Amino acid sequence: MINLIADLGAGLLTRLVQIGQALLMLLQAIFVQPKASSLPRLMQQLFVVGVQSLIIMLVSALFIGMVLGLQGYTLLSAYGSEQAVGQMVALTLVRELSPVVAALLFAGRAGSALTAEIGLMKATEQLASLEMFGIDPLHRIVAPRFWAGMISLPLLVAIFSLVGIYGGHLVAVDWLGVYSGSYWGNMQQAVDFNEDVLNGMIKALVFAFLISWIALYQGYSCVPTSQGISAATTRTVVYSSLAILGFDFILTALMFGGAV
Amino acid sequence: MATNGIINIRNVSFYRGDRVIFENLNCAIAAGKITAIMGPSGTGKTTLLRLIGGQLQPHKGQVLLFDQDIARLNRKQLNHLRARMGVLFQSGALFTDLSVFENVAFPLREHMNLSADELYNRVLLKLEAVGLRGARDLMPSQLSGGMARRVALARAVAMEPEIILYDEPFAGQDPIAMAVLQRLIKGLNSQMQLTSVLVSHDIAEACAIADQVILLGEGRVLAQDSPAALQASADPAVKQFIHGEADGVIPFHFPALPLQEELRGQSK
Amino acid sequence: MNKRWLELSVGLMMVAGLAALVALALQVSGGNMSRNAEHYAISALFENAAGLGPKAKVTMAGVIVGEVVAVGIDPHTLMAEVHMKINSQVNYISIDSSASILTAGLLGEKYIGLTVGAEDDVLVAGDVIEDTQSALVLEELISQFLLNVGDNK
Repeated sequence: MINLIADLGAGLLTRLVQIGQALLMLLQAIFVQPKASSLPRLMQQLFVVGVQSLIIMLVSALFIGMVLGLQGYTLLSAYGSEQAVGQMVALTLVRELSPVVAALLFAGRAGSALTAEIGLMKATEQLASLEMFGIDPLHRIVAPRFWAGMISLPLLVAIFSLVGIYGGHLVAVDWLGVYSGSYWGNMQQAVDFNEDVLNGMIKALVFAFLISWIALYQGYSCVPTSQGISAATTRTVVYSSLAILGFDFILTALMFGGAV
Repeated sequence: MATNGIINIRNVSFYRGDRVIFENLNCAIAAGKITAIMGPSGTGKTTLLRLIGGQLQPHKGQVLLFDQDIARLNRKQLNHLRARMGVLFQSGALFTDLSVFENVAFPLREHMNLSADELYNRVLLKLEAVGLRGARDLMPSQLSGGMARRVALARAVAMEPEIILYDEPFAGQDPIAMAVLQRLIKGLNSQMQLTSVLVSHDIAEACAIADQVILLGEGRVLAQDSPAALQASADPAVKQFIHGEADGVIPFHFPALPLQEELRGQSK
Repeated sequence: MNKRWLELSVGLMMVAGLAALVALALQVSGGNMSRNAEHYAISALFENAAGLGPKAKVTMAGVIVGEVVAVGIDPHTLMAEVHMKINSQVNYISIDSSASILTAGLLGEKYIGLTVGAEDDVLVAGDVIEDTQSALVLEELISQFLLNVGDNK
């Protein structure tokens, strides 16, 4: 019994140490004086992290919007209020689904790739090699990837929402015959830019921070062997997904649930 | 024991968790020579290189590089010192997203303000020295292991360092590549008046080019001498390693209870 | 990797993302922004405020002019005290206005409708509307109806 408590304490302590290390890594990586030469590196990472995630985002957004349109229509037409489908699709997407689904896809697509890439750099001694050339790998490797994640995900979420709403339009208006004017009109009445759209963007920023942080730390601290890298990649996806869903609840409660 | 080398290790102790890697290690590496650090796997040869490169800090003792204690240097001073030192990592450690040319140009771009022509010429000369001028536009993934190591060598000497550290340069190389690397290491050392430190467990290859051998074992220096003297050594531990005997001072068996006690169904 | 193509595609992604945000602002939310605009607080006492909650609309002639902030019990009169905030531009609600709790549709949400009176003095922050009409409670309505039916026999 005492052993169990001791083990628990030791485990907790290790976790705390890890969080501390991760925080230190992040602080060192974030506060970098930008140089003229860091812009091309940021560009490169924006391409890898952002542009290369675009296709999966677009396709997912379209399908999710279409599903929402279809479900919303069948559900609402039972009460004769299928004109409200636009409002339902838009609010669901902007407040919840876009940030969460885009972030989950981002963790799977970009986060895991970041972990694997940095882990591989560690295993092939590229990080050590940079250090021997007098270059801090945190500045050179970690910082541009972190910022690329922070910039890309909110943009991707905005695109996701818009494409999803048009996906809903496609099904509800073009196929099921809801009047286009009421699709948009109801939506415009219900959606508030500050309260709904911007809150969704805030969620996206928080998720971007979490994913980038987790992915980079897992890569940077992984055991530099093939098993170590694959375990770290898995951890990135698992931890990111849990963090996204957990923080989504907290943020939703803070943003939309505090009315009473 | 000599203490006036270009690299001096003084009373260094280093631990990984509870495991002792080095306890009171003392050795010196003479300028302008090729020193081979040898020893069985797991005796901390690579750790020693990392200590010299300042990537690890000793728990006790000092590592002196050009007579400066590297633990006392700040980041800038340390990087300044590292610019005088080249490292050839075991895997080559070429940057996978850069071409061969850009890999060799990398340290020059970072640390020197060369004109485009100067840079180009210098990179080409370094690649010529390792015989890979023609491969300058290839990506690291297109190179064989031996070629990658030669490119890494060109990159390590691009800054014309005074010391070059080799981590297992011969590991996993075919005989031809090994011979090429041996020739390059030896050649570069005499041409550029380098101090070369190479970590290896390929006894024959390392002994063939080394001026001095430091034999590590059990966290300390077992012997430090010329290759010829070591070959003739009577010390049982030295003999076992140099001549590759399976059992000896370093036992064949991992520590265990006597076999009789461990086999099941055997009444005592 | 062609450097120009890389820069171009990154630029396109940034533009697309920002354009999407603008489209969300204009097309989706119709420029609706919950500006923290100036408003003033008034309250009203109701016999019964069933179904009314914070964020319920306050309308005048069918136009939204404010929202309910809180609903509580006034300890002196033991009536429901509804606090509202009214947009500052709407500064012409006369003091003899009445407030009624209305229902959007048969089963829809409750909201407050203001009916303007005839006085020249207008409501200012802190004023209380006395002339109120309570929420319709369906059960009461039904029992009243049944009672009336009984009487007519």
